[in-house]
Amino acid sequence: MSILLIGVNHKTAPVEIRERLAFNDEACADGLRRLVDGDVVREGLIVSTCNRVEILSATANDQLEFGAGRLTQFLDTTGRLPTGFLEQHLYRHTDENAVRHLFRVASSLDSMVVGEPQVLGQVRHAYSLAVQAGTAGRVLNRLVHHTFRVAKRVRTETGIAANAISISYMAVELGKKIFDSLKGCTVMLIGAGEMAELSARHLVNAGAARVIIANRTEETAQQIAQEFGGTAVSLQQLDQALAEADVVICSTGAPNYVLTEAHARAARERRRNRPTCFIDISVPRNIDPAVSNVPNVFLFDIDDLESVISSNIREREREAERAELIVQSEVMQFQQTLRLMDVGPSIGAMRDKFQDVARAELARQRKRLGPLTKDQETAIESLLMSIVNKISHPVMNQMRRFYETGESDDAESPQDPTGLED
Amino acid sequence: MRSLLLAVLAAYLIAAIHSILAFVNKRRSLQRVAQWSTLVGFILHTTALIADWVIDGHYPLFFPRETLSFLAWALVALYQVVLYRYRAQALGAFTMPLISVLTFIALIIGSGSGVTPAGFSTTWLFPIHTTLLIFAYAAFFIVFIASVMYLLQERELKLKTFGAIFHRLPSLTTVNELATAAGGVGLTLLTLGIVTGMFWSSIRTGRVWHNDPKEIFALLTWMLYFVLTVYRSTASWRGRRAAWLGVIGFALVLCTFFGARLLPGYHVFG
Repeated sequence: MSILLIGVNHKTAPVEIRERLAFNDEACADGLRRLVDGDVVREGLIVSTCNRVEILSATANDQLEFGAGRLTQFLDTTGRLPTGFLEQHLYRHTDENAVRHLFRVASSLDSMVVGEPQVLGQVRHAYSLAVQAGTAGRVLNRLVHHTFRVAKRVRTETGIAANAISISYMAVELGKKIFDSLKGCTVMLIGAGEMAELSARHLVNAGAARVIIANRTEETAQQIAQEFGGTAVSLQQLDQALAEADVVICSTGAPNYVLTEAHARAARERRRNRPTCFIDISVPRNIDPAVSNVPNVFLFDIDDLESVISSNIREREREAERAELIVQSEVMQFQQTLRLMDVGPSIGAMRDKFQDVARAELARQRKRLGPLTKDQETAIESLLMSIVNKISHPVMNQMRRFYETGESDDAESPQDPTGLED
Repeated sequence: MRSLLLAVLAAYLIAAIHSILAFVNKRRSLQRVAQWSTLVGFILHTTALIADWVIDGHYPLFFPRETLSFLAWALVALYQVVLYRYRAQALGAFTMPLISVLTFIALIIGSGSGVTPAGFSTTWLFPIHTTLLIFAYAAFFIVFIASVMYLLQERELKLKTFGAIFHRLPSLTTVNELATAAGGVGLTLLTLGIVTGMFWSSIRTGRVWHNDPKEIFALLTWMLYFVLTVYRSTASWRGRRAAWLGVIGFALVLCTFFGARLLPGYHVFG
């Protein structure tokens, strides 16, 4: 059985093509049933997200080319595209490469934003659809479960998803670098923008205890305050509120500086030197850059946030290199599992065969043994079985080892092939 | 006990290398290796010190070799407490190399020459006085490192460089708290050390003060850390300024530690 994967993703095909190929849940189940015929394409699974459409299948070993053709044709008909049209956008991976590709996709190494967490859920969903459609069999079951394990390993062992890369989450990230934990912190919003609210939401989720909202129109302030269970203050009370705030997010539409160095100095005085983190996401800027000169006050404008993001992306890329190593070693492990799976059943069947032979012999010779008690009969049978097992066990072990490593070690080890010496 | 100390050095070196690698690569597995080898080294080191004490018959804190070894041991002890309490793993990358160097020097300067003056091995004040002070030095070193980390991280945040340091050093609050706590501990130990020293000296010679350079430096150090602690607790000096004082203060600690070496006086090394 070979593993075959074809598909398009955001790197190989523009959205006009991807959207034509996309499957919804129903189309996916339907398509799988059409695709999997039990002869050439034995098992199938479709991963369809906004960034990729991929078909994974287990195909008979000797019909790989034919199988690949069928998968391509299947995509063509789905997208109602002329034959051969997809050729330049399509990638095709077989066996080891297909396994590696799937591992990379699920670990979010192949995503537009490396380390994004959604794709694993999407693969999980694709698998459950295949299970419902009855097109996930022996090979794909193993492969997909192994994939989940790899994705989990990558997530826990590397920092691929450790650093935030969205503006709204930066407040949390920077806050943590200053306050260690945001538990019990007070957040203040000056002006109400969508981004500022989203940032505040993240901060509250990270443990911030209190939200203060200052806005020019008090009605809006009240409204947001209600949303967060916080307090609304007028711009006249700014100084008082600033003294209480640990993290200040500023995003008003004002064309001038709303907060000046004097504000920051006054707040620091009242805060008895406790640090404050000012985040200015408005353009034009609303916080005077001179605020940065005040000790224990940290100011970040939109460009600074962007530069943390690019630094975080670099960190993620560094981590992605490590993730690739994990994927590589897991691919090798899976190849072994696969080899073993091919022979596993036949090894098991061999033992049954041996046992049948023993039982048949016993039946043939039974008459010559004369009348026996029940206990004696059981004893004879278990004696036979144990001889069969004892003899066959080392041989089968040897075979298993042979298939696991993919090579024979007989040449180097002149030991008794039956392994019965000791 | 040289072979045992050699094993200690090996463990500390492994810990130092892994701490640095863990710091650079941010690997938990490397950090685990570092922590375990630190612990193994610490246990061996403790054994070595006890063995020294039993075999040589005097408290192992008299000759330069012993002092350095003891100082390294005290640093490891404090480092482990900090690790447990603050989870500031980055500290290892700074302290473990120094600890290794101290152990290495203790190993190569060999066994001390001469014999212990009779007065030292009989009085119980000698071990208390010296142990308190060694731990005070170790605590001030922690203040120093925490202050350096604070200044580095603060610089990163102020200048918005967001380089490797930003991702690897603990938060400002953590290192600030660490420096405050270690400063308090150091000051307490220093006070007790000075008091026991005065008491011992008054028993020996009837005088509590000899205008000895080590004593003067110790007094200056005490004053500096007293000021630092007071300012920190009243919160008028927090963060950057306190951190600078923690760095500069350590120079004074070094003078105190090597005081008897630089200028002769009442104190012998140790």
